[in-house]
Amino acid sequence: MVHGYGGHILRVDLSSGKILREKTDPGHMLATIGGRGLNSRRLYDELDRDVDPLSPENLLLIGVGPLTGSLLSTSAYMTISGKSPLTGILGDSAAGGFFGPEIKMAGYDQLIFTGRSDTLSYVYIHDDHVEIRDAAHLAGKDIFQTTAMIRKELDDNNVQIAAIGPAGENLVRYAIVACNNSRVCGRTGMGCLFGSKSLKAVVVKGTGMVSLAQPLKFMELCKKLDQRILDHPEFHDRHELGSTLLIKALNGLGILPVNHFQQGTAPYVDQISGQALARKYKTKNKGCFNCNINCSRYYVTRQVESEGPEYETLCSFSSRIGSQDLEFALKMNQYLNRMGLDSLSCGETIGWAMECVEKGIFDKNDFDGLEFTWGNTHTIEQVVGMIIRGEGIGKEFSMGTRYLADKMGKGSQKYALHVKGLDVICGDPRGIKAFGLTYAIASRGADHLRAEPFFELTNRFEEAEKRFGTRQAADRLSDKGKAALVEYTERQALLTDCMTMCKNVGLSMDVMDFELGADLLRAGTGLKFTADKVNQSLRKTIDNDRRMNIDFGITAEADTLPHRFTHEPLSEGPSRDQVVPIHDMVRQYYEIKGWDRNGVPLKP
Amino acid sequence: MLVIDINKCSGCRRCETHCSFYHSGKTGHSGARIKVEKIEILGIDFPVVCHQCQEHYCTKCPQKAISITDRGSIEVSPTLCDLCGACEILCPIGAIEIYNEIPHVCDLCGGSPRCVEACEMGAISFEPDVKQSVSLEGFRQKTKKMSPAKKRHAYALEAGETLRNEWSVNNRRE
Repeated sequence: MVHGYGGHILRVDLSSGKILREKTDPGHMLATIGGRGLNSRRLYDELDRDVDPLSPENLLLIGVGPLTGSLLSTSAYMTISGKSPLTGILGDSAAGGFFGPEIKMAGYDQLIFTGRSDTLSYVYIHDDHVEIRDAAHLAGKDIFQTTAMIRKELDDNNVQIAAIGPAGENLVRYAIVACNNSRVCGRTGMGCLFGSKSLKAVVVKGTGMVSLAQPLKFMELCKKLDQRILDHPEFHDRHELGSTLLIKALNGLGILPVNHFQQGTAPYVDQISGQALARKYKTKNKGCFNCNINCSRYYVTRQVESEGPEYETLCSFSSRIGSQDLEFALKMNQYLNRMGLDSLSCGETIGWAMECVEKGIFDKNDFDGLEFTWGNTHTIEQVVGMIIRGEGIGKEFSMGTRYLADKMGKGSQKYALHVKGLDVICGDPRGIKAFGLTYAIASRGADHLRAEPFFELTNRFEEAEKRFGTRQAADRLSDKGKAALVEYTERQALLTDCMTMCKNVGLSMDVMDFELGADLLRAGTGLKFTADKVNQSLRKTIDNDRRMNIDFGITAEADTLPHRFTHEPLSEGPSRDQVVPIHDMVRQYYEIKGWDRNGVPLKP
Repeated sequence: MLVIDINKCSGCRRCETHCSFYHSGKTGHSGARIKVEKIEILGIDFPVVCHQCQEHYCTKCPQKAISITDRGSIEVSPTLCDLCGACEILCPIGAIEIYNEIPHVCDLCGGSPRCVEACEMGAISFEPDVKQSVSLEGFRQKTKKMSPAKKRHAYALEAGETLRNEWSVNNRRE
C-alpha cells in the first residue's frame, strides 16, 4: 500500500449520476506529486481544450496531496481546478481550512466532477459512500446558511463543506467556493464553475486516518520545519496580524494600491491597517488545519462578526477604492464570503469604474445612476448587490473587468488592470519588480501566488548572490536576477501547492526547500522522491500548464503588464519614478525556462 | 487534568493531530482522544477532552473495564472491554468514543500530554495535581441520549457562551 495518499480518485458525473471510484496509481503520483500538480496533469490529459468553460464538458477537479492532513504543519490546503469561466485559460484556486484534510481522511486524492445536474444538487461523500443529493431548497441561500442547513439535514456538525453562494449560482464569473465559511478558493471563478454544473456544495466526512511510510523519520522532519517557522523573524507579526500586516508594510514601500493604483501610499493608513484591525476588532486567533502560526483572526464589529479578512480583501475594499472606513471593509469581507464573490476581482471592477468616472470617460448615467466616486460606500454596496443578483449594470460587472471595459469601450480598457483576464492583486509591481514578472507570466493570470517572490523584500543579499547569481535579486527596485528568482519561487510555490502546504509559510517565509520537501515526501509516502525527481516533476507541470494555455490561445503578447505599470511612474512615495521593464524580464524568464522567444516550451 | 482555555483556542486541531499521531503513528480526528468542536458561525473552537469529572460516570462500565489511574486519567482494560458502548452513553461530554474497536479516551500520554506540547496558542495546560475537581452533574441532563459528537457540540456551545458575552461587551461599545 502507498502511504500518505488517500488511495482513490473519485469520479462523479453529474449528468448521468454515475459514480466511479478508481485506485490511485503510485507511478502517476510520483510524476505529479499531488494537489495542484495532480489537477494540472488531469486537465492536460483529459480536458478538451475547446470547451466552453460553462459547458458540462468542462472538468471540475478538487485535489489534495500526499501529506494533506498529516503531521506536517499547515498541510491544510486543497486546490480546485478547471478551465476558468473568468479568463478562459487554466483556472485554479486553493484554500486552507479543514476541507482538504477531510477529503484525505475519506480516502481520496482527487475528486473529479463532470457533466451538469438537471436540478441544483450537492454531493455527499462519507468515506466510500457517495451520493448526489437534491439541493433545490438551498437555492439562493448564502454560504453560511447553506453550511448550516446541510449540517442540520445530515444531522452532523462535523461534516466539512465547500459551497457556493448566490453569486456562484447566478454565474458571476469570479464567484468563489468557500469552506469553513471563511476559507476561500477565490480566484479564477471556481464558484462559477460549481454553478455551471448546478453543484451547490461538496460535503465530505472522512473517518479514516493518514498513514506514513516512516512515521518517526517524518516526525523528525516536521520538527525541523516547525523550528524554522518558530524561529522566523516574521513569526510574531504573522501570528498577530496575518497577511493584514501588509497594509502598513506595503504602504512603507510605497506600493499600497491607493485609488486604483494611482498612488502608492495612503495618508490614512493607520485607520485601515492590520494593527488597527487587531486593536479594535480582533477577538481571537483562528487557524487552519495543523497550523502553528494561526494567522487568521476572528473579529466582531458593531455590525458583523466573522473570520478574516486577508490582506487582499482588506485592501480591495479600502485604499484600492479610496475608502478609509475599516468597519466597512470588515462588513464587506463577511458579505462577500457569504454571497460568494472574489473580493479582488470585484474590487477591481469597482476601482476601474471609479477611475473612469474620475477621468471623465463615463458618468453616472453609464452606471444606472450610481455615483462612482472614491470611497463611496453606498455605491459599493449597491453595485455589489446588483452583481450578485445580475441586475442592470451589475450583469456587466459580473463578467469581470476585461469584459466590462471591452464592452463599455471609449479607451477605458487602458484602466482595466488585469493580465490574461485575471485582475491584478493588491501590490503595485512598480516597486516590486519580481512580483511584476510573476503577474506577467503566472499561468492563471495576474497573480502573486504562482511564484510569490517575497524574497526580494527580505534584504538577504548574500543569499541572493548564492541562489540567483546576483545581489540585486534581493533589491526590490532592481530588475536584475528577477527572472532567476521567479523561476525558483515558481517551483517552490508549486511544491507547496502539491504538498498542499500554506504558501504564506512554505513560500513567503521561505521555509520549504526542495531537499526538505523531497525528504518529507519520501518519508511520508515511501515512494522514491528525491530533490531531482521533485524538480523534474515541477518543471514538467509548469511546462504542461504553459502548453495548455497556448492551446487556449495564449501567446507571448499576453505575458505583459497593464500599461500603468510599464509606462506611468508613481509620482510619490518610496517607489517613486519606477516602472517595470517587463519586456526584457519576460524574455530572460523564457530563456531560463528553456522556452523559445514566443514562450513555447521546447520539446523535452 | 488538562485545563482548556477557550479564549485562546484557534481551532487548528493541532492537538488532535499530535494526539492521534502519538497513539497510532497516523493522523485523523477519529483516532484522537481530544476532539476540537468547531462552531464556525459563532467563532467558537473548543477542544473537548476527558475532564476527570468528580462523578466519573464512565466507571459504571458493566464489564468493570474502566478504572482510574493515579494520575486521575481513565484506563480501559482491553481484556475486559467487550465494546458494549456503555461508556459512550455514560460520559456526558462525549470524551470517550469507540473507534476501530478501541474506546478512545485521554490517557495523558503517560504524564507528558502531546497536545499541550503541540498547541502553539497555549490553550491547553496540564495540571498534574488537579484531579476529579470538575462536576458534570448539572450538564449531564442536557445530553442524555445524544451521540458523543452531539454531546461535544452541546458542551462547546455552553462553554462558548461566556466567551461570546465578553466579546460583545468589549468590542461593541465605542
